[in-house]
Parts: sequence; C-alpha cells; structure tokens
Amino acid sequence: MFAQFFGAFLLNNKLVSPETLAQAIDDKKNTRMRLGVLAINAGLMTADQVEHVNVAQQSVDKRFGDLCVDLGYLTPADVDRLLSEQPTDYLLLGQTLVNNGSLSNADFEAAISAYKSHYQLSDDDISNNQNDKLSAIVKDFFHFNTAENARIYTEYVTLLFKNIIRFIGDDFTPLESSVVNTAEAEYIVCQTIHGKYNAEICVACPKAEYIAFAERFAKETFTDVDEYVNEVVGEFLNVNNGLFVVNESNELGIELSLDPQQYIHNGTVKYDGQAFCIPVAFAFGEVEFIISIS
Amino acid sequence: MDFKDIKILLCDDSMFARKKLGMFLSSLGIVNISEAADGEEAVSKYKEVSPDLVFMDIVMPKLTGIDALKAIKEFDKNAKVVMASSVGTQSHLKQAIVLGAYDFVQKPIDDAQVEKIIRNVMK
Repeated sequence: MFAQFFGAFLLNNKLVSPETLAQAIDDKKNTRMRLGVLAINAGLMTADQVEHVNVAQQSVDKRFGDLCVDLGYLTPADVDRLLSEQPTDYLLLGQTLVNNGSLSNADFEAAISAYKSHYQLSDDDISNNQNDKLSAIVKDFFHFNTAENARIYTEYVTLLFKNIIRFIGDDFTPLESSVVNTAEAEYIVCQTIHGKYNAEICVACPKAEYIAFAERFAKETFTDVDEYVNEVVGEFLNVNNGLFVVNESNELGIELSLDPQQYIHNGTVKYDGQAFCIPVAFAFGEVEFIISIS
Repeated sequence: MDFKDIKILLCDDSMFARKKLGMFLSSLGIVNISEAADGEEAVSKYKEVSPDLVFMDIVMPKLTGIDALKAIKEFDKNAKVVMASSVGTQSHLKQAIVLGAYDFVQKPIDDAQVEKIIRNVMK
C-alpha cells in the first residue's frame, strides 16, 4: 500500500503526470532494481554520487557496485546487503520512473526523502507493512482528521485498500478525496452497516469500469452488466464490510450488522450528513468509493 | 459416504457466491448440489431435498441465515448447517453455536476449510 500512496504523492506534487504514473504502474512488474536507487533509498548515497558512478562506469569496465566501493561510496557489505534485500513495491515504482526518464536520480532522491519525511516513515515501517503507519497515511491523505468519526473512517478505508490489493489488484492510485452530499453514477452498489454507529458505503462508476472491476473480483470475463455482474460487485463490498465488522467486534467489542446490498442504475444516493468520496484510479479507469459514517 | 453421494444445499442471496462455492464443490466431484437464494427458500429446499450438509449465508432477504438455521433445526435436530458469512462476529458465532450450527466459515471462503468440513461430514 506504500507504493500506491507514493504514486499519489508523486502525482499530487506534480512530479509525474497521471498518464506517466499509470504506465509506470503497468511497467513495474518487469522492472529490475538497480543498486543506485537502492543506495539512495537507504540513504547510503546521494543522487550526485550515483550520477558520478554512472559517468565513471562509461569509461571503466566494472560493475556499478564495485565502482561504488572503489570510489569509497559503499562498503562491500553495503553492496551485499542492498542486493540481497527484497525490493519493496514503491521502490520498483521509483526505479521504473527513473528508467523511463520521468524522474532523474536527484528527483527520486528528493521525492523519496519528502515522502518518508511527510509520513514519518522508516524503511522498516515500509518493509514490515506497519499497520499503524498505513492508517496514519490514510488519515492524513484523505483528511479524515476533519471528520467526526475519524477513527472509523481511517480503519475502514485502510482495510478497503488492503482488500482492493488482495481482491482487485495493486495497479491503482488513490486520488484526493472530497466531501459530498450525494453519490451519482451510471452504476452504484450500496451497503449499510448498522449498530453502535451507521455507515453507508457505495461503489460508484461508469459501465466499463463497473464491468472491469467485477471481472477482476470474479476472475471471469463479462460483456455487459446483468444481475450476476451486480452481485459480483456487491459481493466485493459485502466481503470487505464483513471483514470490517469482524475487526470491530474482535478488537473493540463493537457489534455491527450488515444489510443486503442495493443496486442502483443511473441514479443518485443522497446522504443526510457528511460523506467522503474517494476516487481510485485503476489501470482500467476510475472507481469511486463513497463512505458516510454517522 | 463419498463425494459423489453427498447432498449439499447452498444458501446465499448472491448468485456469484453460490456459483463460486458450487464450482469448488463440483471440482471435488460433488454432483448433488441444490441452491436457495434466501432464508425462506433455504428452509423449503431443506425439507424437499434432505441434504447431508448446508452452507448458509447470514445476511439474506426474507429470512436471515440465523432464522433459517433455527427453522431447519426445529424441523430436523440432526441437520448439519455450516454458517458461511462475511460477518463472523462474536455475537453471530454465539448465536449460531447456541442454535446448533455445525461450523462457521468466514467469507472469503477458504476452499481447504470447506473440504475439511465436508470430509468430516462424510466420515
């Protein structure tokens, strides 16, 4: 999830365009990490030092790591450690953007430093997928601290993104949220959670995105929206909401129930209070998740 | 009892959820599979086909899975009903146990857990 929010960070800071980011997300599965980016990320080398080694490598037949050691930038142990570590997803994204020329090493160094500093992230937090750090990013990114039920919004949306990665795919970028009073789309699926508090959650998008979302979850191919496709999207929402309700029960003793899903075609859902609209840009298009907790 | 002999009833208002679980049961070689799309239909289908095992969703229209479980157990105290729901909260688990549910599986359903339950029933 750190990779998706790193992508959003790059986008919001206008370091990449939406098209470049989408292409990089698609390309990163074929990307091999290079030592320079790993060393910059680990804070062992600056972008200038990496550039220096790149230039030096053009006139010397030596591997990048060996040259770094010769020039005194890294120890052999540093090289071994960096090369043995499993690259995290956000680094693969960064490497892809460096490879295709969208970011220079210096841009990457500045971006990764700003991203980690903004969210107070360490490499260990990222490698271990620290839940409290993920929640902190979600809370900050979507401005849930302005909401009355900040904890619930944060917990819900953190789980939602984990389940999007688990069931739909990791090739997405979360976009800036907005506060809305209505949800309006070609296709909407809603489900209500009720009990100690009430939450109404909708998935809303145009037809093509609705079908693509359903195809990802069902691992089937669809050509049109029918009752079955509706139920596939509905089941994603139901599974996600069920897991949320179980977490609330197990961790806080809060007992909640779910209502059956509702399916709306070319309609509007009106909210009495505040609702957060969270757009998510997938490779296949944009899907909105609208959440209202009262 | 063998996979080809066992009779299973799938109760879920989601056609997708029934299809997904049904496909897994078929892959095991189970051929006697009936379906119900709500709690009321679950009870009437149970009476009609006398299944060896029932997989029952909780959140369903007309009659919830918990109410359907209650009605089925009143009709047949030996009924084996597995609650298969996205909402596996403590209170639902307690309710299901009190009413005599055979087991509980949390959605998304783990195929290995389902197979283990079926093998236990067939013993």
